[in-house]
Amino acid sequence: MQREFTHLDVLGEAGIHLPSPRMSTKSDRERIELLQGTLDLLILRTLLLGPAHGHAITKAIERSSDDVLQVEQGSLYPALHRLIKRGWIAFDHGTSENNRRAKYYRLTPKGRKQLDVETSKWETLSRAIARILRPA
Amino acid sequence: MRRRRSLDDLDEDIRDHIARETDENVGRGMTPADARDAALRKFGNVTLAKEGVRAVWIPIWFDQVLQDARYGFRMLRRNPGFSAVVILTLALGIGLNTAVFSVVNAVLVRPLSYASPERLVWVATYDDRSPMEFVTAPDFLAFRDQASSLDRIAAFSIGMERVTAKDEVVPARIATVSHEFWDLAGMSPALGRIPSAGEDAIVLSHAFFERAFAGDGSVVGRPVTVNERQVLVAGVLRAAFRPQLPPPPAAAQLPPGDLDGYHDMVVRPPAPNAPGVQLFSVFARLKPGVTIDEVRSELETVRANQRRANPDRPGPPRLRVVPFSEKIVGRARTPLLVLLGSVILVLGIACANIANLLLARASARQKEVAIRTAVGAGRGRVLRQFVVESLILAMIGGAAGLLVARAGLAAMLRLIPQAVPRLSETTIDSRVLAFAFGASIATALACGIAPGIALWRTNVHDVLKDGARPASASAGGLRVRRALVAVELALAAVLLVGAALMIKSFWRITAYPPGFAPDRVLTMKFQFSGARYRETQPRRAYVDELLRRVRSTPGVGAAGVSSNGENRLLLMIEGAPPLPVEKRPVVSMTVTSAGYASAIGMRVLKGRWLSDDEPSAVYVINETLARRHFAGEDPIGKRILLPNGPDPRNAQQVPVVGVVADLRYANLESAAEPELFTDYQHTRPVGLNLAIRTAGDPSASAPAIRARLADIDPTQPLFDVKPLDVALADSIAPRRFNVILLVTFAASALLLALVGIYGVIAYSVAQRTHEIGVRMALGAQRREVVRMVVRQGMVIAIAGIAIGIAAALALTRVIASLLYEVTPTDPPTFAVVVCALMATALAACCGPAVKAALVDPIVALRCE
Repeated sequence: MQREFTHLDVLGEAGIHLPSPRMSTKSDRERIELLQGTLDLLILRTLLLGPAHGHAITKAIERSSDDVLQVEQGSLYPALHRLIKRGWIAFDHGTSENNRRAKYYRLTPKGRKQLDVETSKWETLSRAIARILRPA
Repeated sequence: MRRRRSLDDLDEDIRDHIARETDENVGRGMTPADARDAALRKFGNVTLAKEGVRAVWIPIWFDQVLQDARYGFRMLRRNPGFSAVVILTLALGIGLNTAVFSVVNAVLVRPLSYASPERLVWVATYDDRSPMEFVTAPDFLAFRDQASSLDRIAAFSIGMERVTAKDEVVPARIATVSHEFWDLAGMSPALGRIPSAGEDAIVLSHAFFERAFAGDGSVVGRPVTVNERQVLVAGVLRAAFRPQLPPPPAAAQLPPGDLDGYHDMVVRPPAPNAPGVQLFSVFARLKPGVTIDEVRSELETVRANQRRANPDRPGPPRLRVVPFSEKIVGRARTPLLVLLGSVILVLGIACANIANLLLARASARQKEVAIRTAVGAGRGRVLRQFVVESLILAMIGGAAGLLVARAGLAAMLRLIPQAVPRLSETTIDSRVLAFAFGASIATALACGIAPGIALWRTNVHDVLKDGARPASASAGGLRVRRALVAVELALAAVLLVGAALMIKSFWRITAYPPGFAPDRVLTMKFQFSGARYRETQPRRAYVDELLRRVRSTPGVGAAGVSSNGENRLLLMIEGAPPLPVEKRPVVSMTVTSAGYASAIGMRVLKGRWLSDDEPSAVYVINETLARRHFAGEDPIGKRILLPNGPDPRNAQQVPVVGVVADLRYANLESAAEPELFTDYQHTRPVGLNLAIRTAGDPSASAPAIRARLADIDPTQPLFDVKPLDVALADSIAPRRFNVILLVTFAASALLLALVGIYGVIAYSVAQRTHEIGVRMALGAQRREVVRMVVRQGMVIAIAGIAIGIAAALALTRVIASLLYEVTPTDPPTFAVVVCALMATALAACCGPAVKAALVDPIVALRCE
């Protein structure tokens, strides 16, 4: 079953490089590398609104950012698993709207606390960068 | 747990994700096929995503190393010849190292098998003029009763006794031990018990119990006859029990071997008029927290009091207290460390060889590496692939090396079991396994990194270009390989010099003077004991009878007896200014007989040898004594004073009647020391060696001679029957051990170096086939091609040998103490080694050179 998605792996050497969590903006020409951990922050923020499955999370991020941020979907799953490993999110099996079985990710209490920490860190950082870019 | 569950659903999650995206796209009006393509595009590389998730849970290097390992095994199977050479080289290098390390481990690293071994000390008194170390009975008693820093102190002495077992007198190596010995040595019996204090009882070793009593347990609790005395057999020790004791002094003249039994004794002060005192070997356990210096100073004080109280029996002037392990294995340390150092050099050469082979193969694999790099493998990843491959090789080689080590150890133990103290304890234990493992890992890293680095700068584009000749990167590789071969030769040179110096020493030490033919002499020992031989007269009668019977045996030449310098005399020469006792030189005194000189082939330089019917005592002296103590004067007719009681005026005056050449007839290792000979008719013989010149092989005549001598007195068995050359070889067993091992190492080094040079030269000839073809097409002569190839090889060889010889000049000082009549910088030895190495290098170059000369220019040019 999984074969149908696998690209032709001639040398059996896939995965030489780790994909870094990367997002693309609307236009590929304006593509910028966002700071590491940003995707984690956005996932945590999205899950604050309630449990969601993987696809819904990407959609929510895209919608909330007015489609400025496009989650490169391949990097979503490593990020989700990283958050599970750290104990910030957990998942339950559920059934979605069109009767499909899906994994619903939800924020854990620990994750909620971490979201506060990450949010304030992010705000501090963006304020600092803004001050540098547009000095008063 | 969590990891399993998360990873299990991953495929389903991703499939689900893409299905949703597809549905959405269909909702926007795409056809199902376009919708699915768009969804897949949007998702990106599925495998990468999965790898990324896996990497969250499983360290990515782990996966990759497994992958590298699988790939490595595949490479090994594909090149069986290459793999076999590398694995054999490694097995040799690691095997030799492991074998030597396991000996070092058993002898020097592993603590003695006593309780609190670190608190055990050897206690001895000695005189600078004599190699003997002992403690007299009164000193032992004073130490035992007065020293407060000692927890326990035990005395023992080892001798050959006669045990009557099953109606047969069996010579046995018996330790007479003070009662503290049982506890200090931690002895526990398998049968019976340990004797109680003061009980006249013996405990047998398990091996002797099996050998002499056929393992019959009923002997325990019954008396046996030991030297015609009834002694109770109290118990039998466990089979594994083997106390670690210092080797008995050479003067004890005991055949090598394990102890057969232990006899409890009560140490008593000597009776007031007794002619001598008992001498013991003594060891002790310190109280916890006491240092060796504290014990030494306390024992010094005890001894000072003791000497004041007994001025007529002062004992030796000096005291020695050293860690017990130092006494047992101290002399083996330098040789063993030299062997370990040498064998590490062998491994170094093996490493250089393997790195060379891997480098050669690496250049063949340039294309593969370029492809791997082109599809995204990082330099680190490529390097790691090489290291993992060599790790696999090293692990297999290491396992094979363990087998080599086991076989080597078994051979060592069989060949020369007594060469090194504690050698029999050598096993492959966890520490040895760890060493072998560590050596394998170190080898893998050392060998694997070189080719990785050589390929570091591989230019992907150049290599992948169609038809490009893979020469550019191999030029750097070849430089590294030449350097490696030079290093190999340098290491081999150091080893060869060491081995050659040891061989020359060995050759010097076993170079017998003319006339001395130990391979034609049969020797055996006997020691008088028992009530019948308390007086001197029966001893003389016994020796008379012994010699008479030997002489009447057919096929036997001269025969004589010798005490092999067992006695010592404080030398006083008549007419020389008298010296106080502690200044008088000590000379060894050998009790012998008329036939002895001709039996072993001792040369008389001046005067005459002893006869069997001297009217009164006479002395024959050796060259060294004559030179040292009769400086320039003719010793013949001079008289030596033989003390007769404490008053020097009572001394007997014994004339010197002859001078003989120095001869190491008992122990090859001993330096020439002043020795005087006297006949058994005028001295009391104690223990004697019988030497018989035989017409043919001494071993062949042994049974007939033994049979003739057996019934003179069955209570006095003759033991240690062997040809003199065997006895002499035994006396240099440690040296033989070192020489055999060093020669093995040097031979391995030479072989590896030969393979190394050959490999590099052959490879560079193969690389240059085209160039050689061009040269020959332009008119180069075959002779010139040969010269070119040989010159290329010899430049490397000469550089390596020069470095090696320089290093050897600096390093051979280390083995100076192991050499005999050879200086560590002996020019002929160095010259021989240089010639041998040059010849080897030349031989290694010849094959490839001939091959180069046979290059057909047409073929060489066409194949490009």
